[in-house]
Amino acid sequence: MLRGSTVLPFLVIALSAASLRAQTVDDGLLIPRRTLGTGLVYAHESWSQYWEGTLKRANGNIGTLTTQSVTWMAGYGVTDRLTVMAMLPYVRTNASQGPLHGMDGVQDITLAAKYQLLATPFTDRGTLHAMVVAVAGIPASNYVPDFLPLSIGLASRQFSGRLTLNFQAHQGWFLNGSVAHTWRAKVTLDRPAYYTNGQLYLSNEVAMPDVFDYTVTAGFQRGRLCIPISLSQQRTLGGGDIRRQDMPFVSNRMDFVKAQGQVMYRGVHLGMSRIISGRNVGQSTTLTAGLFHTVRF
Amino acid sequence: MRATFPVLALALTCAACDNTITSSEVLPPLDAASLDSTAGSWQMIVLSGPTQFTVAAPAADTSAAYLAELAAIKATQANLTAAQRRVVDYWAAGGVLRWNQIVRGLVARYNLPPAPRPDGTYPVPDPENPFADPQFPFANPPYASRAYSYVSVAQYEALKTAWYWKYQYHRPSPARIDNAIRALMPISDLPAYPSEDAVLSGVTVEMLKVLFPTAVAEITQRAAEQRNAALWSGKAAASDIAAGLALGKAVAAVFVARAGGDGLRTAGGNPALWQALKDSAVARGEIPWISQESPPRPPMLPSFGLLQAWLMTPTEVTAERPPAPPSTSSPQMHQEVAEVKETVDHLSGAQLAIAYKWNDGAGTYAPPGHWNDIAAEHIRDARMSEVRAARALALLNMAMHDAAVGCWGVKFLYFNPRPVQLDPTIKTVIGLPNFPAYPSGHSTYSASAALVLSYLFPPAAADFDAMKEEASISRLYGGIHYRSDIERGKEHGGRIGGYAVRFAQGDGAN
Repeated sequence: MLRGSTVLPFLVIALSAASLRAQTVDDGLLIPRRTLGTGLVYAHESWSQYWEGTLKRANGNIGTLTTQSVTWMAGYGVTDRLTVMAMLPYVRTNASQGPLHGMDGVQDITLAAKYQLLATPFTDRGTLHAMVVAVAGIPASNYVPDFLPLSIGLASRQFSGRLTLNFQAHQGWFLNGSVAHTWRAKVTLDRPAYYTNGQLYLSNEVAMPDVFDYTVTAGFQRGRLCIPISLSQQRTLGGGDIRRQDMPFVSNRMDFVKAQGQVMYRGVHLGMSRIISGRNVGQSTTLTAGLFHTVRF
Repeated sequence: MRATFPVLALALTCAACDNTITSSEVLPPLDAASLDSTAGSWQMIVLSGPTQFTVAAPAADTSAAYLAELAAIKATQANLTAAQRRVVDYWAAGGVLRWNQIVRGLVARYNLPPAPRPDGTYPVPDPENPFADPQFPFANPPYASRAYSYVSVAQYEALKTAWYWKYQYHRPSPARIDNAIRALMPISDLPAYPSEDAVLSGVTVEMLKVLFPTAVAEITQRAAEQRNAALWSGKAAASDIAAGLALGKAVAAVFVARAGGDGLRTAGGNPALWQALKDSAVARGEIPWISQESPPRPPMLPSFGLLQAWLMTPTEVTAERPPAPPSTSSPQMHQEVAEVKETVDHLSGAQLAIAYKWNDGAGTYAPPGHWNDIAAEHIRDARMSEVRAARALALLNMAMHDAAVGCWGVKFLYFNPRPVQLDPTIKTVIGLPNFPAYPSGHSTYSASAALVLSYLFPPAAADFDAMKEEASISRLYGGIHYRSDIERGKEHGGRIGGYAVRFAQGDGAN
């Protein structure tokens, strides 16, 4: 894409925003029973270089591509082992050069359920948690996915299965690993034919390749302060490259490695991330700021 | 646990994330509605007549050589592999429509502008060195219109010639002669010598070698498969195929020679021409077109308007031109610029969808390809014989090629700026074409195409007209054309399409 920096924009936004620590789909924590956490996250993502296939380049007809978003998030502890979450971003894109029109709109609604399989003392230093997460995303408006990198998303319904392992030390540091496989439904375009991956398709439907991603996070938590640092990688399991001097396409193979750091104190979260390497994505830098509020029932 | 239900429900909504896509152009085996046995007498366009090329008489059905050919077919059929069967099934749909699909794919593959060099200049694809970077060609809309037309017209002329000789010799298909040979695709009473499939493979491969030289390996393989499909299916014997291949290649030579001298080679112009176009607009007191790309790119094929048309003389090309556009300093132009801005900043979802439906920009099969896409389904549904299908596509693609010639002549006569040049606050929702605005190419192509298709398929005339209107107005929605570009373009395209319709009315095929 070039939009955002992932095929899972909602997920990246969630990652960068990471709410009450237990409000992202891939952390190892749960929200306590009968507790509701809600928040708003602003994200500013921009890139001036992108990978056209594997070739890194700038484009004078785009300049700097900026994506701003405001995401509403909510998480609720149904039981002490089950947390449900929802997210809904409003996204706006803009190119600093060239004639192309920015786009804006409500993107995809995401619903997730995080279930703790295991919470057990591990060595005498801390506790090991294991959880499974089911995540479903569906476009919440009729936005156009056929104008990348200005489109606000990929307009594909998707479902992820995720497994997370978390070790929380008594002293406050923690280690978290999470892997997921995402299945994506075909996308319908407004046009009757398209060319991608070396072939002309006489159809308005585009098959979307699956996506695999993993994240490793290390951090420190004491009281209401939490500082996680993570490295994540997304691999798209198929799809074609952007051709030389072509526009990106919705089913392109979008891969990246991303580094991210956050500081969370009470309900205020600040974050920054940077794409380190990629394929068919922009080398984006993202800044996030979020405010969260917790209510106990 | 009840709270997990909404998530599970959403997952199911994803319908296991269904990823099977539906083709809009599935082609069943061709069982032609008519043999069109008189097609050998239909009017030629470039050839002098069906006897410009002679096809020698075949050996007798009872000759040892022919009987050996039949035995070879039987042996092949007895051991036909699944892969061979797939080749037969693919080409059973008919060569004209299959090659049309292949050419649309080639256009989409090659329809990418060269990337800029680090110094801000652009390399030019070189037909003498087609494999260099950037590869030749850049199959932009005018180039595409020309490519579709050369393939279609050459196929049509070759098939009319083939039909003439078929009905001179009346040699049936092997499956009709020998009961032991199975018909693995619909096989009619159409005489097999020379094989129309081989004619198509020969004429098409020779044209495509010139039009898309770097795809030669793939094209040659496809052509060989087409001939094999005719052989393995019991439709044609080896001698039917050899005669057809030779005829197809001979006819192609005429069109290859024409393509070498039709004006394309010099259509890109040079820096002196580009400056002269600008100076001419300034001398008339107008704001000249300036490339809005970064770095600025030379205009697309500024001399394409000088290309040799198929159905119009140079005098007719000039005579059919629309009047000058509104002056860039006129109140009307200011009002039209304002309309573009107002439109593109307040698009409805339906208007946005129309802009993308007809975008047909870089990396696609181009606007002429979109109209071939539309035509293909009608040709399929009408179960046209190969020669009649070739006629339909030849008429359509000659009209759109001549529309491109006419439109490009006017574009570079007036060198009129795009809306974003006159008002840089206008932003486009589709890519901005890198050539002057007036008149709209989409509107010109679409009006010529809709007129021809309405003549060929009268019951769908209202549909074609609606598509023409939608394709044309999509350019206003996209933010890249003024209303007068669109209106004058449609009128111009209609006049040009009229030449193809008048030809068709008197060509003997009705």
